[in-house]
Amino acid sequence: MTLALWPEYAVVLGVLATMLAGMVSRERTIWGYWTTLAALAASGVFTIILWASGSLPRSLLHGGLSIDAFSMAVNGLVLVAAAGALLIGWNDRRYGGDFPILVLLALLGMMVLGMANNFIALFIGIEMLSLPLYILAASGGEGLSTEAGLKYLLLGAFSSGTLLFGLALLYGAAGTMVITAVVSPHLILPLAGAGLALTLVGLIFKLGIVPFHMWIPDVYEGSPLPVTTYMAFGTKVGAAAILMRFLFFGFSLASGWWGPAIGYLAVLTMIAGNLIALAQKDMKRLLAYSGIANAGYLLVGIAAHNMLGAQALLFYLLPYGLSILAAFAVLAFVAGDEESVSLDQLTGLYQRSPGLAAGMAVAFLSLAGIPLTGGFVGKFYLLQAAWAAHEPGLAVGLVVAAMIGLAAYIRPLQRSFSAVDGTPAPIRWPLAGAIVLVISVIGTIGLGVYPAPVVHIVNHSAAFYWLH
Amino acid sequence: MMIPLNWVVGLGGALFAIGAVGVLVRKNPLIMFMAAEMMWNAAALVFVAYARSFHQMSGQVMAFIIIGTAAAEVGIGLAIIVAAFHHRHRLDIDEVSQLRG
Repeated sequence: MTLALWPEYAVVLGVLATMLAGMVSRERTIWGYWTTLAALAASGVFTIILWASGSLPRSLLHGGLSIDAFSMAVNGLVLVAAAGALLIGWNDRRYGGDFPILVLLALLGMMVLGMANNFIALFIGIEMLSLPLYILAASGGEGLSTEAGLKYLLLGAFSSGTLLFGLALLYGAAGTMVITAVVSPHLILPLAGAGLALTLVGLIFKLGIVPFHMWIPDVYEGSPLPVTTYMAFGTKVGAAAILMRFLFFGFSLASGWWGPAIGYLAVLTMIAGNLIALAQKDMKRLLAYSGIANAGYLLVGIAAHNMLGAQALLFYLLPYGLSILAAFAVLAFVAGDEESVSLDQLTGLYQRSPGLAAGMAVAFLSLAGIPLTGGFVGKFYLLQAAWAAHEPGLAVGLVVAAMIGLAAYIRPLQRSFSAVDGTPAPIRWPLAGAIVLVISVIGTIGLGVYPAPVVHIVNHSAAFYWLH
Repeated sequence: MMIPLNWVVGLGGALFAIGAVGVLVRKNPLIMFMAAEMMWNAAALVFVAYARSFHQMSGQVMAFIIIGTAAAEVGIGLAIIVAAFHHRHRLDIDEVSQLRG
């Protein structure tokens, strides 16, 4: 038992404790939520201790796991995502006692993705992330939710198959499973090219990049709200982390093979995601297309293929995730007992609850990239990275996409700040969700006004990363 | 007599292609799921073939992990398929279309 894996051990112990809590008392599922929250807190504390201990980087299992500043940053991000999703769905009878267990298991997969350094860890991470999410997507009862689960399952199995076959070909071309050792003079080129292409298709499927994005809106719309929150934040962090590690660690020397393709996909995804978001009437679908567009922004950091890009990508994940948490917390309040919110239901939100309307305004302005929010700072860093990489096309695509996105995000805001006749029904604020909303709104504004502490951490993570 | 490596990898490629085409053209979710599992098994076969030719264990380990994960995935997958279809009495993916992608 090395100290280096304690954040993950805490999560595993949390899973066991939550299962036990569910067995001890079937009626009082609240115990399971508390043990899960305790496990998240313990894992967070271990991550911070590990970060401060100076014992990093560590390499475990013959190079299979690389525990370094980058994996610590990913740990922090996915812990925030899991805590947010857990609190938004806090002790909701609709999701039952299994919800916290599955959240923890998917969290473990995301943590493994942050430190995976060989094909086995990569595959296990992807599957540990996906399998609990299939169940979670289908956990909202009959109808839309099982349909979402079924679609997610079939497309997830297909993309995992593509990924696996790509990895198998790469293994054949390189003769090794360790990502950092793949590119060598002995690489068999056509085989490696085919393997890299199939692997990238599989990973990009999970991230939701445009030619492979069609499952995202359906799955987001049909899944229960806290699960959608978790997918929109946590899955994106995990997929972006492994994509970055795979390409920057493994294929850094062969960036000509993938750089242009990733760049074109990034521009296509940003613009198409925001354009389709313009036409959406359901808020979950709108945020799904927003998630697709944001995955495109993340790809800009990868396509830039420099240290600024790595830093910008890591930084952007935090304001994006906080805005998503705030937006979904508001939607969960407005939806109440329902599972989704249409654009029309937002009309007059300002009269029903000024606080919610303000929170939503912050979240959406951050997603659109208005100054004084974290989203603006994140997009600015991405723009800087694209510029430093001498890729003006990427920079122009990012700005154009942000402009289209602004139009898409203004519509729900305009609805919620328009007046309605009559006395509107007030909205109940569940305490757990209110905590998420307040913290993520403060975080979003804080990152926009004073991003220096987070920038410092991110620079440390990515700078170390580049020396490999 | 040793079977040449290229033949085994070719067989893996063919299985993968059949599986991929199966997922894309079939309408029955059970068959689609089966085709996806075929893609996984094609990858496992290729891993084992290369592991044998490199005299390494890592590819064999990967094949075991693929089989184990596939079993877990089938458990979850069949449960979801049954849940989605037990009140319809027919299996056709085109009927599952309340969500418009």
